[in-house]
Amino acid sequence: MNAFIETEERRALRAAVAALGARYGHEYFTAKARAGEKTAELWAEAGALGYLGVSVPESYGGGGGGIGDLAAVCEELAAAGAPMLLMVVSPAICATVIARFGTDAQRARWLPGFADGTTKMAFAITEPDAGSNSHRLATAVRRDGDEWVLDGGKHYISGVDEVEAVLVVARHVSATGERLAPSLLIVPTDAPGFTFRPVEMDLVSPERQFTCFFDGVRLPADALVGSEDAGLAQLFAGLNPERIMAAAFATGVARRALAQAADYARTREVWGTPIGAHQGLAHPLAACAIQIELARLMTQKAAALYDSGQDGAAGEAANMAKYAAAEACVATVDQAVQVHGGNGLATEYGLGSLLGASRVMRIAPVSREMILNFVAQNTLKLPRSY
Amino acid sequence: MNIVVLVKQVPDTWSERKLTDADHTLDRDSADAVLDEINERAVEEALLIKEAQGGEVTVITMGPDRATDAIRKALSMGADKAVHLSDPALHGSCAVQTAKVLATLVGTVEGAELVIAGNESTDGRAGAVPAMIAEILGWAQLTQVRKLEVDGTTVRAERETDTGIANLEASLPAVVSVNEKINEPRYPSFKGIMAAKKKPVSTLTIADAGIDASEVGLANATTTVLEAAPKPPRTAGQRVEDDGTGGTKVAEFLVGQKLI
Ligand SMILES: Cc1cc2nc3c(=O)[nH]c(=O)nc-3n(C[C@H](O)[C@H](O)[C@H](O)COP(=O)(O)OP(=O)(O)OC[C@H]3O[C@@H](n4cnc5c(N)ncnc54)[C@H](O)[C@@H]3O)c2cc1C
Ligand SMILES: Cc1cc2nc3c(=O)[nH]c(=O)nc-3n(C[C@H](O)[C@H](O)[C@H](O)COP(=O)(O)OP(=O)(O)OC[C@H]3O[C@@H](n4cnc5c(N)ncnc54)[C@H](O)[C@@H]3O)c2cc1C
Repeated sequence: MNAFIETEERRALRAAVAALGARYGHEYFTAKARAGEKTAELWAEAGALGYLGVSVPESYGGGGGGIGDLAAVCEELAAAGAPMLLMVVSPAICATVIARFGTDAQRARWLPGFADGTTKMAFAITEPDAGSNSHRLATAVRRDGDEWVLDGGKHYISGVDEVEAVLVVARHVSATGERLAPSLLIVPTDAPGFTFRPVEMDLVSPERQFTCFFDGVRLPADALVGSEDAGLAQLFAGLNPERIMAAAFATGVARRALAQAADYARTREVWGTPIGAHQGLAHPLAACAIQIELARLMTQKAAALYDSGQDGAAGEAANMAKYAAAEACVATVDQAVQVHGGNGLATEYGLGSLLGASRVMRIAPVSREMILNFVAQNTLKLPRSY
Repeated sequence: MNIVVLVKQVPDTWSERKLTDADHTLDRDSADAVLDEINERAVEEALLIKEAQGGEVTVITMGPDRATDAIRKALSMGADKAVHLSDPALHGSCAVQTAKVLATLVGTVEGAELVIAGNESTDGRAGAVPAMIAEILGWAQLTQVRKLEVDGTTVRAERETDTGIANLEASLPAVVSVNEKINEPRYPSFKGIMAAKKKPVSTLTIADAGIDASEVGLANATTTVLEAAPKPPRTAGQRVEDDGTGGTKVAEFLVGQKLI
């Protein structure tokens, strides 16, 4: 039993990504975000080095690794101060779903671009009227001859302005209007009838969120990924990696905040001794370090389960990891701000903007409460209230 | 053309570096070990030449077992194979012994015509090993190089020193040492990282390499560290409040130090 230690290659990957991330860093990230620009240079360089395509099959130009490798990349970039939100959707959900359920033609069309990062795809499930209740999804797809016709809308969809296509979750509707199983459709952002507009967010982030409208969008037969009646099983094959990636993203942000807080607490003196000597600051920081490490461990476990093909066990672990990572992130950013006193809210220290970012982790892609519901019902077999 | 790159694992410059109390050799346990950054540049230069002209890049290191990490890093960047000389008898070897050993190892690499090394390691900082290897092998030496060009059997280089730039030209075989301006080393790609473990590394003892124990090690070294003391911490310095006379006070200070 040595699975608690990452392989030599995984550690080498982390070191290489950390070095790349350090060259860009948090100043680059916030400068881009505040200028309304994307971290395109970092994305391109990470893509060219194969870091964004680590989990794409080798036969399509990818690294042939697993979600554990991709999560390591995501975490290290976040820990370097340059997190890339679209890693959570494009390579993790979209590439995974296409690799697992796509046809050979769909794989050949999309995977090489995911392998080197030149293709980006967004993922859209959230709807205004459905929220956390994916059974209420209203976006509908119906067959018309050889084509599919998509109608409906989504909101809070990240990155629509910078992707080639969006992987949209929609429900089939029968000829009689009956709602059937959900499916995944690849919708090019320039498809006629597809419009989107940004949601103004109080977040300092290069990636933006969008409200999407699908108004009789006609799509070719091969826009559908997977079988028409596969339902939620296929969807969850993509959502487990998403949760693992969200957890990795959150622990990366948390690690950075913790390192910065510890640095500050070691040097800042107000009573003739470094403030880190006061247990009122030292203990919460130590507790954050423990929370982060536990969340990382659970994230690695979830990834190991997923990569060994155990979707069911991976689902529980991925949800637990995502919960733990989000809570670690919120607690650590909060404490890092506190440790910095007034500086914690000054732009120069780059922590105030993390307050919002860390809260995203508690809400998306699945909220804290929905994870607790999942664990209550699935792990503890408690009755559901809703 | 086959190229040999000499790499060294050194304590990370960002961590606390110490000599052991017992024999004033490097305390390898006190600091993280990394591939010396100057050697990453040496590897990069070899890879650039290989990519343009073909051939094979072999990395050679002399160091304890954990120096395999430095080797892996070089292999993950794209080097083809490695020779790792690891033997307790090497402990405490001086620069001359090291140069002799490395020259012997270069001789084991088939068809090697060019050796690339860093100009100076960040730990020992002797800056002498590449020149000594060239001397032992009887090869041309182009040291302290910031620009390198290999054209057929001719090597051209720009040597940068404190006093100026010298343009050098030599015929292969040659030993080149590079400075930090030579290039920006690449990050290992994911494929490079995954491939590194499968690349051949021959791990040798001094006996395997045909080196006699009397030629190496602390007891036979040409130089020995008798005493070592850390640099005293910098003193706080003198603080000048600028109440309008700041400029004058700074000037007075510099005059006092006989600097102006
Ligand atoms: C920055 C950002 C990026 C995003 N990117 C994407 C994206 O790329 N693609 C995408 O599809 N979506 C995206 N989302 C949407 C995100 O996934 C949703 O916001 C999230 O799933 C929560 O859904 P909701 O906002 O509708 O909240 P609601 O479902 O309205 O929930 C509101 C609150 O009620 C709680 N709640 C709901 N039901 C229960 C219950 N049964 N028991 C207890 N509590 C309950 C929730 O936990 C939450 O706290 C993004 C959101 C943000 C903030
Ligand atoms: C928006 C804003 C407006 C402000 N407006 C004003 C203003 O109008 N006038 C003004 O004078 N100031 C103002 N301030 C400054 C504010 O009062 C200080 O930031 C605050 O007093 C904390 O001081 P500090 O930032 O130096 O933190 P520090 O003293 O450096 O403290 C850093 C951290 O160490 C903790 N700490 C320090 N000592 C101990 C100890 N002995 N034991 C345990 N923990 C300890 C602190 O609680 C804090 O969490 C403002 C600050 C902000 C952010």
